[in-house]
Amino acid sequence: MSQPRRVLIALCLLLAGLWVAQTATALEVKGRSSTQYSWYNDIVDGSKQAQLAEYLSFTLNGIDSANKLSVQGYGRAAYALKEPADGSSKFDDRLYYLYADYKGFADTVDMRIGRQFVNLSAGSSLVDGVQADFNNLGLVGVTLMGGRDIQFGEKGTLSSHSYAAGMALYLVGLKKTDLDLSYYRAYDYSDVARDMVGMNFRQFLLDSVKLYANTRYDLTAQVFSEVLGGVKYFPMMELMLTAEYFESYPTFDTTSIFSVFAVDKYKEGVLKADYAALAWLDVSAGLIKEQYGKDGDATVYEIGLRVRPSHSFTVGVFYDARSGYGGDLNGIKTYAEYSDLRRLKLAAGIDYDVYQRDTMTGDEIARKYWAATRYNFTKQMSATLRVEDNVNANYSKDMKGRATFDYEF
Amino acid sequence: MKRLFVLAAIILAAAITTAQAGSLVTLLAQAAAEAPPAAPAAVPEARSGEAAPAAPVAKPAETAPAAAEPKPVPVAKPAAPDAPKTAAPRSAPKQDHNAFADMSLKECGSCHKGEGIALNHDADWVRGHRLLSVRPDKNCVSCHQQSFCLDCHKGGGIDVNLKTNIVGAGTSPGSHRTDFREIHPLKALDNPQSCYRCHAAKYCSDCHAKFRGEDLKVLSHRKGWSNLQTANPGPAHSTFTTAQCQTCHPGGLLPTHTWSSDHGREARRNLQACQSCHSDGQICQTCHSARTGLRINPHPRNWDKVKESYKKKSNGRSCAKCHDNY
Repeated sequence: MSQPRRVLIALCLLLAGLWVAQTATALEVKGRSSTQYSWYNDIVDGSKQAQLAEYLSFTLNGIDSANKLSVQGYGRAAYALKEPADGSSKFDDRLYYLYADYKGFADTVDMRIGRQFVNLSAGSSLVDGVQADFNNLGLVGVTLMGGRDIQFGEKGTLSSHSYAAGMALYLVGLKKTDLDLSYYRAYDYSDVARDMVGMNFRQFLLDSVKLYANTRYDLTAQVFSEVLGGVKYFPMMELMLTAEYFESYPTFDTTSIFSVFAVDKYKEGVLKADYAALAWLDVSAGLIKEQYGKDGDATVYEIGLRVRPSHSFTVGVFYDARSGYGGDLNGIKTYAEYSDLRRLKLAAGIDYDVYQRDTMTGDEIARKYWAATRYNFTKQMSATLRVEDNVNANYSKDMKGRATFDYEF
Repeated sequence: MKRLFVLAAIILAAAITTAQAGSLVTLLAQAAAEAPPAAPAAVPEARSGEAAPAAPVAKPAETAPAAAEPKPVPVAKPAAPDAPKTAAPRSAPKQDHNAFADMSLKECGSCHKGEGIALNHDADWVRGHRLLSVRPDKNCVSCHQQSFCLDCHKGGGIDVNLKTNIVGAGTSPGSHRTDFREIHPLKALDNPQSCYRCHAAKYCSDCHAKFRGEDLKVLSHRKGWSNLQTANPGPAHSTFTTAQCQTCHPGGLLPTHTWSSDHGREARRNLQACQSCHSDGQICQTCHSARTGLRINPHPRNWDKVKESYKKKSNGRSCAKCHDNY
């Protein structure tokens, strides 16, 4: 039996089991089902394709009398209605997470077992494994994690021979201070592919300033692969001013040939302002200076505007302009959204990009036109339809769409 | 490495110095008494009839806004629950926010105003959320399930909304505007690390493998080689034929007239881009192997210091690709 079929059968059995369990016990099941039909043109040969997909997420509570244990899951099973142009399987499945979460074990440990997303300042992974948070130890908390590293490719799960482990030490209980130090190691078979130390820091000062820093140090390459430091100034709740510096030195898995090559640092300086000028108006602006090494500079300007003339109508316009190393890009993204007492929602928008990748090509234009609607039948049931068309250097017409039926239980 | 610990120590010292004295004293006293930290301030009951925030299922949240989008403005959001409208004591530790999950972001100020805690989810949230999400004691889960993260980071789609882009049979976050396949080479340059926060390197190479190399070429792979002089002064490469390459470049250098002297500079600036098409790096070994070609050393300046570490951790897997003895 193929894996996708096994997953589908497992999902059906799981749902049936949940239903039986819920009716028989105090088990509380909450979740969402999203059934989606999408049609599109294949990226390789342009042939028309269609796919039917079922997404399911759920939370189980009330498993134990103290309600310390819960189970969370999220997955997808999809079936291509036409033969994929690249000859791949018609079935596709992804189990994004499925874990049991037990809080307050021995009044100290929160534990998760199963497939889950783990995010430390030194590295992140989707793992089949364990995460344990020791959070009642006084000033310092401890997180331990480890398991098989899961990566998704275009079709299914990529590898089963990668493993990740890590730990974090962090300050707890300080309202205006965050600090954590973490360690992350990834294995490729039995070889150490990544060996990283991370640090994350945040401090509020003077009721209007936030300092923050984040870094990753590669123990193998003995370089800081990422360094970020910034300050946010918010003299009032409606205004946020940001100044930030970031640099990165790309490092690769030690098992990759690319890990032994010399690279240049990438540096970035950011200035941004975000102002909720009025109840119906938000504006933002930003300037980013990028440096890729000698004579490799670029500048990015960003402007955003969101207007809400009434409770039911919103218009957003966002523009950015990039020039310098790598090419130029001028892009605008705009949309309008109408909502009728949460029953009916209508939206439409246009994305428009003018770009030049290098001096040997002229300007090219990419456009996207889209329209969408959602209707809420009840608080639990809704249907959505979205249609879009892409026009660019490759397509004079690229119509695609998605119809969904969502049910919350 | 030492610098890291020094930096961490400095920051830790600064943090403790600048943290609220009351909170620190309280916590130290609690630690001395072997008592757990004070319980968070009372959290109001969640309103019935709405999506349960206490055990939140993925609520129909919007996908991450595009860069430069101002913070989302709520549309007909329900009124705030009976939240405490007065500021919490400044020494209070962080409290969970489950009961506030349905509040609009603008209403957060009703508690936080004057507290000196900046509102998050601002216009820079797409870039900035990483720093909060890596905190071990993050409170993202008060409003979001992991599905909210994975819909962007791992290509999920249970929470599609009207603005969620369609990419083939899947979805993409709002920052991937127009047909992102067209502009992603440029967007990927704006902090090249950012791609790898969601995509494995194989994701790039798998997709690129579907296309003819000619259609994906970038600056360093285009013309320019033909104008390169063999010496200064000397004839340009365009005056030679392909068959003559081996005369000066024994071992397989320059199989076609498509390479350029720029490739080294380009590779150092964005090696991830090389990997996205040449995932096994064999093309690099044409010149950079210790066995064949020009045997050009590609290693970084600190290689002598770190090579043993690479050899030990990779069990020599990378070394063996180019060296007989290592």
